Amino acid sequence: MQFTQKSKEHIDACRFCWMCHHVCPIGNATGLERNTARARALGLSMVARDSVEYSEDIIGNVYECSLCGGCMTDCVTGWDPVMFTKEARLGAALDGKLPEYVTTMISNLQEKGNIYGAEKNANIPEIAEGDILFFLGEDVRAKGCAKNAVELLKKAGVSFSILKDEPNSGYSMDFLLGAAAETKAVMENCAKVLSNYKKVVCYDPADAKVMKREYKEWGIDLKAEVVTFTEFVAGLIKDGKLNVKNSGIEFTPQDSPLLARDLEETEPVREILSACGSIREMLLNRNYTMLAGNLIMNEYMPQVMETVAANRWTNAKNVDAKVLVTTSPAEYILLAATKPEDMELMTIEEAVLKCL
Amino acid sequence: MTDFLFDVIATELEDAVGKENCSTRTIDKVSHSVDYFWLSRMWADRGLRMPEGDFIVAPKDAKETSAVLKIANYYKIPVTTWGAGGGTQGGAIPVCGGIVLDTKRMNKIYDLNEQGMYIECGTGAIYKHIEWAANEKGYATMHYPSSLTCSTVGGFLAHRGIGVSSTKYGKIDDMVLQMEVVLPNGDIIETSPAPKHAAGPDLNQIFIGSEGTLGVMTKAQMRIYEQPESRQFRGFLFHNMTDAFNAGRELLQKFKPSVMRLYDEAETASLIKKIVGVEKKGAFMNIAIEGVAEMVELEKKILLETFAKYGAEDLGSEYGEKWWKEKITFFYPGHMMDIPQCFGTMDTIAPYGTIEKIYWAMKEAIETNFPQAKFIAHFSHWYEWGCMIYDRFIVDGKDVPQDPHEAFRLHQAIWSCGVRTALANGGVVNDHHGVGIKLGRLMKEQYGPAMQVFEGIKKQLDPNGIMNPFKLGL
Repeated sequence: MQFTQKSKEHIDACRFCWMCHHVCPIGNATGLERNTARARALGLSMVARDSVEYSEDIIGNVYECSLCGGCMTDCVTGWDPVMFTKEARLGAALDGKLPEYVTTMISNLQEKGNIYGAEKNANIPEIAEGDILFFLGEDVRAKGCAKNAVELLKKAGVSFSILKDEPNSGYSMDFLLGAAAETKAVMENCAKVLSNYKKVVCYDPADAKVMKREYKEWGIDLKAEVVTFTEFVAGLIKDGKLNVKNSGIEFTPQDSPLLARDLEETEPVREILSACGSIREMLLNRNYTMLAGNLIMNEYMPQVMETVAANRWTNAKNVDAKVLVTTSPAEYILLAATKPEDMELMTIEEAVLKCL
Repeated sequence: MTDFLFDVIATELEDAVGKENCSTRTIDKVSHSVDYFWLSRMWADRGLRMPEGDFIVAPKDAKETSAVLKIANYYKIPVTTWGAGGGTQGGAIPVCGGIVLDTKRMNKIYDLNEQGMYIECGTGAIYKHIEWAANEKGYATMHYPSSLTCSTVGGFLAHRGIGVSSTKYGKIDDMVLQMEVVLPNGDIIETSPAPKHAAGPDLNQIFIGSEGTLGVMTKAQMRIYEQPESRQFRGFLFHNMTDAFNAGRELLQKFKPSVMRLYDEAETASLIKKIVGVEKKGAFMNIAIEGVAEMVELEKKILLETFAKYGAEDLGSEYGEKWWKEKITFFYPGHMMDIPQCFGTMDTIAPYGTIEKIYWAMKEAIETNFPQAKFIAHFSHWYEWGCMIYDRFIVDGKDVPQDPHEAFRLHQAIWSCGVRTALANGGVVNDHHGVGIKLGRLMKEQYGPAMQVFEGIKKQLDPNGIMNPFKLGL
């Protein structure tokens, strides 16, 4: 396993530093020392020094990170465990040492267009009504439901299209393999299709994240403007296209790390919820949010994901929150599976529909 | 150990804590072999493997901990308790192999008791998490060490940790009410329901600071406080250390600030200049006063009058506020000493009558015997009767032998020289980082025949000597 000089520098800085220990949603869920940025860095630093082999269990540990960026955000010096973790995943792929669950997901993606191996969802309509593309993403198509989001856009009088054969954005490939040629190929294919539209509204923050960040970073030519669903809906309310009434409900936003940290978008969801009612914040909010679950990891660490989601419910409960609102389909699905009876869970579109 | 016996023990441990919580994986063994101790870091940096545990187990409560200790006693296997690994003294390193007992699954917050003003939690809880739990209800733990985010409740208790607001709120041993402890034989005990009593010696204080040598603390009630209505900072510059000690001592006869930190001229000119921005020469002192606003105003008046008597220059509130904001920044890589430097913090404590003498003696001893080492210090925890020195030696990477065995010897020699000088002048072997394997050899020099008290307790509670061997000098 060969690391770049930049990664080596970050690994060596993190290997003896524990300062971000408290913010790791995985470490907090498992209580395992190896689920800390410093333990991962220590293991990789020893691989780099040839004192430990880049073996199955070191690689397994590299895949136990959600890449949520909590550690990176917390670090006042700017060290970046996400960067070297992704590089280590790429290294495992190049060395032909990917865990079986990863190769299965990649095969699924190649065969079915999604990592879950799900068949096409017959309930998702194909709409061709204009130059705004509503991009749903693989999580919703394979595991979720976009009915309310579609209804909301219709109520706002937006003309939009939904593709029958939506390309994969490349988020999951980026998560599993990092900057591999295969990841880039998936992204290029997606960009080609999306470039036929003027604007792409991304329902899933995961897709928005790669389109707005990785596509640019890797020079992938995407002609369409990309906006997040939350940003788009906040605009519809501001422009008077959605006349929401204050319902008196107190909402608690669950900031998706992808939106809050990767895209630095924290206010649109609050603008929407303030128009619909009032807001009760969790202690860890905005870019200090805590991940509430990752569907890719749910494929190989379901019990841990259950605890990650349950921990976020505990955070909400601790501030006497009643209604938790998510913007990420993955977090919604995992939070729904662990929802306490006395609390309510809504997607952002459900919150708005309730107030029209 | 034969492969066969290894499998016998592994399956028994799996039975005790669950298969997924008993590991023999390389990543787990490596993760639990290097803590914040310079020697373990240097060893790993040179591409060497530190001593590793054979089994890494993570019990979820006292019952599972008890089961693990019973197995360990039966097979006479060493048990090293691991919190989060942030210790600087090598206390959590499994030097004899065996079982590493990671406490972090015991992280449950059982109760936030607003009547008794405490949080009851598993000792594997990261302290920042109990601080968050307190904050969510409008309270605070007031335990703010630099390792707040990366150490467990049990870790702080095990080595008698301390936070920056200690002068007002005390050390960790002042913050605990009741504890649950698993004895080496597997018995689960509780200390008395109140920390102040006349029911014999204080059981809490027998286990606090015992560094995993007498049992495993599994649950604790930690004090919480109301958030202060007002917190104000004031920076001062003293002409010399003597004036600063006298001013600090006099102030503490009048009231207790929360933060009191005095930096020697070398640290004022290095770290304080870099992080806080104080450019002037002298000894910088930062004071925080907090509590009910009216009382804070009165205390501020007393503070200014007292320090003016000793010629302190009042630097206003700006530097102190900056220091508070950046108090943890000092410890991130890039700001803190790191490999390839060789460094250590020899914190010691003594009454006012000897503290300054100890400082100068240690400075002279280190700088004379090890001219390649820099010596800087601050005095960060103050009492009515004395205070502690947080003195550091730093050797530049170019002066540290590349050969790990030679680097090891240099490190040990500097430590022995510094701590022996502190002891010879009336100091204590350590103030708040603990002893671990780093200072075990000096415990007998500190205590002499008094060491038999510790040895007697150890022998009675842990006759097989399985609990964290070679730590604390036991």
